[in-house]
Amino acid sequence: MEISTKTWQHCPFDLGLVGVTSQKTMRLLPAVGRKATQKVAVADYDGVITCFGMKKGEAVPVFKTLPGQKIARLDLGGAIGTPQEKIFVCAGSEVKGFTKKGKQFLSFEANLTESINAMHVSGADLFVCASYIYNHYCDCKDQDYYLSGDKINDIVCLPAENLGRIVPVLACQDRVLRVLKGSELLYDIEVPGPPCVLELYNRDGGTNGEDILYGTIDGKLGLIRITDSSSSSKWEIGNEKKKGGVLCMDTFDIMGDGVKDILVGRDDGTVEVYGFDCSNEPTLRFEHVLSESITSIQGGCVGKESYDEVLTATYTGWVTGLTTEPQQAEAGPGEEVKMSRETQSKVASLRAELDQLQMKVLQGREKYQQTSQSSTAVSAVPMFSVNDKFTLCQDDASYSLALEVQTAIDNLLLQSDVPIDLLDVDKNSAVVSFSECDSEPNGNFLLATYRCQANTTRLELKVRSIEGQYGTLQAYITPRLQPKTCQVRQYLIKPLSLHQRTHAIDQDRPMNTLSLVGQFSFAEIHSWVVFCLPEVPEKTPAGENITFYFQNTFLGTQLEATYCKGESHFKSDNISTISILKDVLSKEATKRKINLNISYDINDDSVGHTLKMIHPKLEYQLLLAKKVQLIDALKELQVHEGTADFLIPEYRNILDEAAYLLEEYKKQPAHLERLYGMITDLFIDKFKFKGQNVKTKVSLLLEILDNYDLDSLMNFFNEA
Amino acid sequence: MLVPIFTLKLNHKINPRMVTIGKFDGIHPCLTAATQAGKVFIHNPHMRGQRQAAHRLSQSAQDSDISLLNINQAVSCLTAGTLGPNTTGDTLLVGTQTNLLAYDVHDNADIFYREVTDGANAIVLGKLGNIESPLAIIGGNCALQGFDFEGNDQFWTVTGDNVRSLVLCDFTGDGKNELLVGSEDFDIRVFKEDELVSEMAENETVTSLCHMHGSRFGYALANGTVGVYDRTARYWRIKSHSSLCHIHSRSGSGWKLPPKGTDWWNSDRTGEVIFKDNFSSSVAGVVEGDYRMDGQIQLICTSVDGEVRGYLPASKEMKGNLMDSSVEQDLIRELSQRRQNLLLELRNYEENAKQAVPGISDGDTQMGVIPANTQLQTALSVRAATESQKAHIELSISTPNETIIRAVLIFAEGIFEGESHVVHPSSQNLSGCVRVPIIPPKDIPVDLHVKAFVGGKSSTQFHVFEITRQLPRFSMYDLHVDPESPQPTGKVTFTINDRPQRVVMWLNQNFLLPEGIDTPDVTFTSLRDGGLLNISMLSTSGEITLNTDDIDLAGDLVQSLASFLAIEDLQAEADFPTYFGELRTTLTEVDEYHSVHQKLTAAIADHSNHIRNMLVQAEDARLMGDMKNMKKRYIELYDLNRDLINEYKIRSNNHNALLACLKSVNQAIQWAGRLRVGKPKNQVITACRDAIKNNNVNALFKIMRAGTASS
Repeated sequence: MEISTKTWQHCPFDLGLVGVTSQKTMRLLPAVGRKATQKVAVADYDGVITCFGMKKGEAVPVFKTLPGQKIARLDLGGAIGTPQEKIFVCAGSEVKGFTKKGKQFLSFEANLTESINAMHVSGADLFVCASYIYNHYCDCKDQDYYLSGDKINDIVCLPAENLGRIVPVLACQDRVLRVLKGSELLYDIEVPGPPCVLELYNRDGGTNGEDILYGTIDGKLGLIRITDSSSSSKWEIGNEKKKGGVLCMDTFDIMGDGVKDILVGRDDGTVEVYGFDCSNEPTLRFEHVLSESITSIQGGCVGKESYDEVLTATYTGWVTGLTTEPQQAEAGPGEEVKMSRETQSKVASLRAELDQLQMKVLQGREKYQQTSQSSTAVSAVPMFSVNDKFTLCQDDASYSLALEVQTAIDNLLLQSDVPIDLLDVDKNSAVVSFSECDSEPNGNFLLATYRCQANTTRLELKVRSIEGQYGTLQAYITPRLQPKTCQVRQYLIKPLSLHQRTHAIDQDRPMNTLSLVGQFSFAEIHSWVVFCLPEVPEKTPAGENITFYFQNTFLGTQLEATYCKGESHFKSDNISTISILKDVLSKEATKRKINLNISYDINDDSVGHTLKMIHPKLEYQLLLAKKVQLIDALKELQVHEGTADFLIPEYRNILDEAAYLLEEYKKQPAHLERLYGMITDLFIDKFKFKGQNVKTKVSLLLEILDNYDLDSLMNFFNEA
Repeated sequence: MLVPIFTLKLNHKINPRMVTIGKFDGIHPCLTAATQAGKVFIHNPHMRGQRQAAHRLSQSAQDSDISLLNINQAVSCLTAGTLGPNTTGDTLLVGTQTNLLAYDVHDNADIFYREVTDGANAIVLGKLGNIESPLAIIGGNCALQGFDFEGNDQFWTVTGDNVRSLVLCDFTGDGKNELLVGSEDFDIRVFKEDELVSEMAENETVTSLCHMHGSRFGYALANGTVGVYDRTARYWRIKSHSSLCHIHSRSGSGWKLPPKGTDWWNSDRTGEVIFKDNFSSSVAGVVEGDYRMDGQIQLICTSVDGEVRGYLPASKEMKGNLMDSSVEQDLIRELSQRRQNLLLELRNYEENAKQAVPGISDGDTQMGVIPANTQLQTALSVRAATESQKAHIELSISTPNETIIRAVLIFAEGIFEGESHVVHPSSQNLSGCVRVPIIPPKDIPVDLHVKAFVGGKSSTQFHVFEITRQLPRFSMYDLHVDPESPQPTGKVTFTINDRPQRVVMWLNQNFLLPEGIDTPDVTFTSLRDGGLLNISMLSTSGEITLNTDDIDLAGDLVQSLASFLAIEDLQAEADFPTYFGELRTTLTEVDEYHSVHQKLTAAIADHSNHIRNMLVQAEDARLMGDMKNMKKRYIELYDLNRDLINEYKIRSNNHNALLACLKSVNQAIQWAGRLRVGKPKNQVITACRDAIKNNNVNALFKIMRAGTASS
């Protein structure tokens, strides 16, 4: 992967700072007339739309609207066939339209109970989505309506030109893209992760107007072709390097090679450019990392004519460009002085403004201090916005918590009332300190502080949970802002925290069944399932009954949950999963004083089956641990003898693969311990259903695990 | 800004912090590092194929640039430099837990090989004070020892704890080098020859020291702190995410080496990071040298996996390209960020002013609205042990109204396991008052930075109150005395020329007293061991008597009082019967361990002879085809080998016990010294050393008691 550095001087330059921005709230207005440079429109949390252009390296504002409600999306529109230069924003449940001069020409109240979080504009058609609801308006008149099964994250519509009608596509949290026709679901498309952004490929859907790009929360992206009756995936890019989730995408020929490239912005600050090789497979051409999440990305030309740029807006409101303009010109002898003069004046004006502000702030501070003398006054500091994400990583079955604040974070306190492990993240430069916990009176199992280095606005942590132990993880975030306040965020660690939604399961596995019958409503049983399992929509699904499928990300075992009013069935090949569900559900029912009739059907083959599923993982880990142990000694022998030829091939192999082995070993710390823990749980749970307590035999089990052999383990499980 | 110049893969593991560069033939710099299993390798890319193996040195069969030196013992420190007066090249010095080897790589010969009972954890080579010849100074368990080129012991003194880092630096600015010692008791001590000039207390083990320029030096701690001192004043310090293994400085700028990466920081300003590079594994060390022999000095970094990278400072032109625009950018960015922060703060005040008119809206409970006159009250008090809780100092924090304290964070260095302590009551136990028990492990003054989250019961946003309280040095002592506890037998007596009021002032400042006292005669109970501490002063003669059984505490008190009253020299008489009794036992034990050690060495030599014979016999039998005999011999050999391993274990245990004893003896000398101040202190240490050298135990105790050998 060679980056063509000659044409691509990745010099970041800042265009300006606005307020906190949501996803997809910055767009470039089309170039007007002879001028090649484009204007930028950005909308922020304060409800302000800022539109500016660049003149001689300085941002010149075109217009700025008055503050209002938080703006969730910004889109460009206009009559079909004309330049798309009208600016549409949605704030709360209202959609507003502005001309490129900043004159408001539209204010449309959608009358939704929730605020709009995704919007698409096409000619006279307006499409809005608010958590579960999709609405289509034409000329502000209600057209279609659809209620989705899970939260809608984004919407995009295939253009009408080629297909004859507009085809809306919804990106839904349950890993599905829903293609609509009118108010009906045409079909749905499964994607590898919860999709959170959709874009038309090439901004118009490609040659036939049927290609869309999607990006997922767990960092995957792909291209899908959508036709009238079916869909086909053109390509898919995984996320092996565990980069952040995709927040925004664009198609633009930034490399200047005549092929459109894909621009991607992620929530860990990564900006990527994917090009296409001759076989039309996407390859990473360029990568640049900014310090905060990229909320919007677009290719275009803003700063200087004939030099294309990648424009990005970040969470805290920095609009930054990555330019193709060669840097040598800038650092040339004559120009250098000019550059610095420009900057000097800029710096001087900024400093002057700062001084003024400083004065105002001092006054404010004084006033604030004075109120502390009064006995009736109250002190209330407005809530600051926190951008947080708590997601399960499929690869290592751990949760990652990302927190982002507008100003630098001073410190973070993590508190948990369940035993969890906090893992070290390389990217994280904050100083961690674990405090002693007193689990007895105060129920703390984890107390840790993160003291951040200056200018840290984003923090990422990893947490490992244990299934069956559930509770809350709380994060207290204190930013460096006077008067000092801290905000607490809560994250639920669910009983089956390592499970993930899937679309289908293997029905041939030996299954254990848990059935609950009792006087509970559909909403009640749904709320219990939400309580137990992640990725289930909070809203009670429409219809009489529902089936959800899950997969354990660590072991690969599965779970099927089917329930309706008064009855529910859970099927899993893992007996521990059933045991956890049984415990939690009966506890929940007792809390609400509902009489439950619990019956279970335990399939003895399932234990052997689960053990066989664990076997390859366990064997691999054991072998790996053994090999890693030998590396140092073998290396020493090699150095001593000067050659490794005398070793048996097996050992020579270890030496050859040493680097790879060590990397594998480092990747999954405590993997073996976790597997041991799960086998122990399996053992205890198996006999719990038989009414026997086998806790005393656990030490024997561990002994067997130490000299692991599948057969003897199976025997032990059968005999005990 | 630095640019990488070269990278090498050496395929040898490198022990952290054991990397040096030496010009062993006087011309060519060679990278030298300690590797696993007691070897030292020398990388010499300049003279390929001109050497032959002999004696200790053997050429690596894999890589002709590398020669290996067999030490046959785990290497614990290593350096290279000029030691002898008339040598052409640098001398390589290798320290292990028991020996110090000075080796001439060029001539392939030992210069000296000395046994050092206190071990060698750190080594430095150079001139110290007025001593003529350069010394190789090693720091071991509580002891410092300096050897000249003939292996003569020219310098010896004791220090507080195990030495972790050493550096020579002109601390006092008198043109002569002082020795800076970083040790495991978190102190940096400065020795002007064997006189202790000053002490700086840090809050973690001092893992690395480096000289910057003039009297300025850098230090690194095990918890990742790195900083710079100018003499005794700390210039700046920062704490990083990962622990540091080594720091190095060059022309006003320094390196710190966290595992997996290197940062280059600028010392002249505030310690900001100017360069960063990442390795795939931990960094073992950094050295500088003209490795390419082109007249430019490179910085050379090595990782534990044997990866070597060389760097050069970026040239002017390159800097122009890389830096200028970004510096301007950064400045503008920083200013804009500041503007944004001020705007946000302003918004906070504006919004607050709107809210200041009371009126309850829905947002209030979430936002954590509190009365504007809320102020936190804090109090420190000493709590004796109860059945459920150990004796501790209690910090109580309370609000004056119905607001609650959601959590309390205390940031303080050196008294908690990490750098912070958190109290987070469960939601049922929320109240307006939080009590935090604190047990400082050592008698040091500590600043407690308290952050309390105050708000309503159902708030999601809280006000953060930040308060700093100081914990006095001797806070773990309670005025409450149980009349039945036995009187201490140990005591120190000395005379001062100051009014008793000044001593009272010292007491009030350094002890945690519920209300001020007005007499210097007080008795405390130590909360750590329950022992009594009795302080009394005769106002007529100014004679002060400290009664305690803890000699370490007595030393701390004397030092603290002396620095408070600005006393330069103080002689004292002391007697600690219990402790001296223990020390006498330890001294006998040392003798015993020594004799056992000798016996075992003899036995092992004996056994090795046996093995040699047995092996020859067994091989003979094999050649003769006498399988039965051969088998028998090998079985015997196996048994003998097992015995040998067992014996080794015994020897190793014996050695560890001996080291522990020697450490406590060194510590005793140090403590005895600390009962005095200035010149008398140095006299005691020197006299004690002489007494030990002459094996005169009675004289040793006499010195400890009276402070001098004579009279």
